[in-house]
Amino acid sequence: MDLDALKANLVKDFQEIVSQEELNQLKVKYLGKKGQITELSKNIKNLPSKERPIFGKGIGELRSLCEDLLDSFQEKIELKIINESLEKDRIDVTLPGTFKSQGKLHPLTITTKRITDFFSSKGYLIEDGPEIESDYYNFDALNIPKDHPARDMHDTFYLDNGNLLRTHTSPVQIRSIEKRGAPLKIICPGKVYRSDADKTHTPMFHQIEGLVIDENVNFGHLKNEIMTFIDFFFGPDTKVRFRPSYFPFTEPSAEVDIMDKKSKNWLEIMGCGLVHPNVIDMAGLESKKFSGFAFGMGIERMAKLSYEIEDMRSLFSNDIKFLSQ
Amino acid sequence: MKVLYSNITKAIKAKPKIENLCEDLTLIGIEVDEIKSFQGDKIIDFDLTPNRGDCFSVKGLARDYCAFKDKKFSSVTKKSFKGQTKFNKKIKLFAKDACPAYSAVSISNLKLIKKFPNYIKKTLKAAGIQSIHPLVDIVNFVMLESGQPMHVFDQDKIEGDIEVRFAKTKEQIKILGEKNLKLSKDCLVIADEKEPIAFAGISGSLNHSVSKKTQNFLIESAFFRPSIVKGKARRYGFQTDASQRFERGVDFNLHEDALKEALAIIQEIYQVDISNVETIKNKHFPKKKVINISTDDVNLKLGTELKENTIKSILNRLEIKLIKKNKNFLTFEVPSHRFDLSIKEDLIEEVARIVGYDNLPQIKNDPITQHYEKSDYDFINEVKTFMINKGFNEVINYSFLDRQILKNLDIENESISIKNPLNNSLNTLRTSLLPSLATNLEFNINRGQNFLSIFEMGKSFSNDTHTEELNLAGLIYDDEKFKNWNTNQNYDFYYLKGILENLFAEFRIEKIFWKKSQNDLLHPYASADIYIKNKLVGSLGSINPRFIKSLGLNKAFLYFEIKVESLPRNDLGKLIAPSIYPISQRDFSFEIDNKVSYEQIENCIHISSKNFLVGTKIFDVYDGKNIPDGKKKYCI
Repeated sequence: MDLDALKANLVKDFQEIVSQEELNQLKVKYLGKKGQITELSKNIKNLPSKERPIFGKGIGELRSLCEDLLDSFQEKIELKIINESLEKDRIDVTLPGTFKSQGKLHPLTITTKRITDFFSSKGYLIEDGPEIESDYYNFDALNIPKDHPARDMHDTFYLDNGNLLRTHTSPVQIRSIEKRGAPLKIICPGKVYRSDADKTHTPMFHQIEGLVIDENVNFGHLKNEIMTFIDFFFGPDTKVRFRPSYFPFTEPSAEVDIMDKKSKNWLEIMGCGLVHPNVIDMAGLESKKFSGFAFGMGIERMAKLSYEIEDMRSLFSNDIKFLSQ
Repeated sequence: MKVLYSNITKAIKAKPKIENLCEDLTLIGIEVDEIKSFQGDKIIDFDLTPNRGDCFSVKGLARDYCAFKDKKFSSVTKKSFKGQTKFNKKIKLFAKDACPAYSAVSISNLKLIKKFPNYIKKTLKAAGIQSIHPLVDIVNFVMLESGQPMHVFDQDKIEGDIEVRFAKTKEQIKILGEKNLKLSKDCLVIADEKEPIAFAGISGSLNHSVSKKTQNFLIESAFFRPSIVKGKARRYGFQTDASQRFERGVDFNLHEDALKEALAIIQEIYQVDISNVETIKNKHFPKKKVINISTDDVNLKLGTELKENTIKSILNRLEIKLIKKNKNFLTFEVPSHRFDLSIKEDLIEEVARIVGYDNLPQIKNDPITQHYEKSDYDFINEVKTFMINKGFNEVINYSFLDRQILKNLDIENESISIKNPLNNSLNTLRTSLLPSLATNLEFNINRGQNFLSIFEMGKSFSNDTHTEELNLAGLIYDDEKFKNWNTNQNYDFYYLKGILENLFAEFRIEKIFWKKSQNDLLHPYASADIYIKNKLVGSLGSINPRFIKSLGLNKAFLYFEIKVESLPRNDLGKLIAPSIYPISQRDFSFEIDNKVSYEQIENCIHISSKNFLVGTKIFDVYDGKNIPDGKKKYCI
């Protein structure tokens, strides 16, 4: 048999194979010890030396062709075997996945985090203080002396150990000034307590309060901080108004309202003001040198506005159907 | 404070729409709580801030409104008055500073000559003040209009002269409303020769009050210093229209004019004999305050560029008069009705109020340089996020609960009580988060849940060395009959322990030891205490079955509580390059005595294999067939 005839047989043989066995047989038939290509190559020694290189080259090419065909058919057959076995692995993709329970953060935690994320990105340190406070930190140091009518606004829970449950997060301001001095930029989230319970009040609730102390801090700075925050929290088209109010620890004091987009009513969202010089002095700084602003808001109210919660008390009922939303 | 719309429009001599009026008042800091219809008129309920005593009247509101709108306002209609008879009691001001001015007048032979005016009745009713006696109604009406509280006594019940003094030891007074008050020595009283006839600035005594039978009347109108009245009524658990006004401050130049106004109304309605108005004033009578301020002071605080003249004219509209000027500052005199103005900042707020807060500039903030620290808040949030990823829903409970619940669990020792709880079910601060979470469980079971996995991060309180400690607690309850088709999770001690091991690993907390628990809340044989190094940080396990019933449950739950403060905050630190050699594994089976713990075996392995050991894993625990009694087989 000559080279060309062998090549034609080879190509023809490969066209007919369908299984791994046939492929293996072809490998033996052509490339085995007694395979046809092997056998033919032995003829080289009978040829004149001139023709040997051409014949040798031809044999080499034939051998490569056979190897390439073997490889490519090997791949095809393997693929065919896989494809045939896949059918047996058929599953119902609409069955639910293996159950892995995933919890949810409480809406108040999420709301707090949204607020603290904003302020910490602006360089505020996050501070906390004790929930059991003394009269001094909760009231006196905040310019609310005994018998001050403003104490009426705080329905305070008093404890049998002579202390009280803080009625606002403002004591943290004082503790932070005492600890860190000025300049200072802090945000303090936390639980506070007032003796009040109805649809819009719970005896325990959460506040978040910010304080900035530096030289030459003015009302314009406060307005800017609040406006940027509202823009972030409620969206850029929110209508805002500042109106005068009264807190013993700030002067001037303001209340901030936003307009409810649906009802067009003004909703009170926070109190703020320039820190009262008495507070700065009492905390151990000089009010001649330092000024500052403070602002505070109820986290429940912010959550209520974010999630359109009707009844504040549902935030503390801990109904899993509510929490796992 | 409830005020009739028509009374305000009368006082401001204009008729703005009620919405506009309320909007304007809100913008100057006088908050409107509610508007209600009333007898063809409207009642506006104002929520006054405690600093603005001067707005505690129709005229006060009108004055502030007119200042804002830059309209003329005449605050006092001075009535001249001459008495027909002579006031025949002596007034002695013993508490000279507390009450530096006192006026009184005697009235007798009252005869109605005209129908009692309806506008007085309507005004009182709108304000929620009960009609008592025509004369009392008139002085109350004048109080609502002007802000000056006055009191009417039955003069025949007053024995001898009148003195204003502090209460004597053990002195008592029975006030209107039948309350008997034991007065302390810092309580100011009006007294006759025998006893107190009024708790000054707060309430008259019941025994000296007027009735239908009263023939001769004495009306008092005085100035009481706010600091003397402040908090006194509240101390005895009540408030009156008078105390609310006096403790905020009533215009010290008003008491005589207001009295004369009341007398003028009385004379309009009655034929009556009235004495001269007896007024005693001493040298402690307040003087108008002065405040020095510069244009720079205002502009530096507000970020504005207001001119001196603007500031002057704004303050002038508020009756804050410039009285002196030098090159450094302006000196302003505060009117007698503004008790809240005493420092520069107070005047700056007045300027801001009239300019309008919304008209003040917004100024970009300068950055502040301060040392940055990772706050504990971040750590707490990371732990919370870890917990939700382990399938726990976050709950938040009140810090207080019913003491009885703590008692039922034997954990009421050292608990802190609330002296004035909202109700008894909230009378004690929790000493553990367990009762709160158990209550959540009961609540949710009652709503049809049969699986619950919750956690809380909150404080527990006690009277011992740590008054408050932040705890992390979690609860797992599983009573599910129908689980998801291919899930077969066993919620047991080891499941919960696995979560805590993951938690410690996540936060790089090492040297953890698990010991049989001493916590009485938990099952004595299926719970563990957790130690870091040798410090107890918490415990976990199944609830002690003896508490299941008292917690309102039928089935046990798994629980853990750990002290967040005791967890070390370990940063990632240096990362170590792992060995380049592949790990090789060996497995061993040990048949051992039942009392030998896994920890003991693991320790032996660690000691014997020193530096080569990467880790150990127990893959089978067997104590069934072919294992002798009292033995078990661990495959490691």
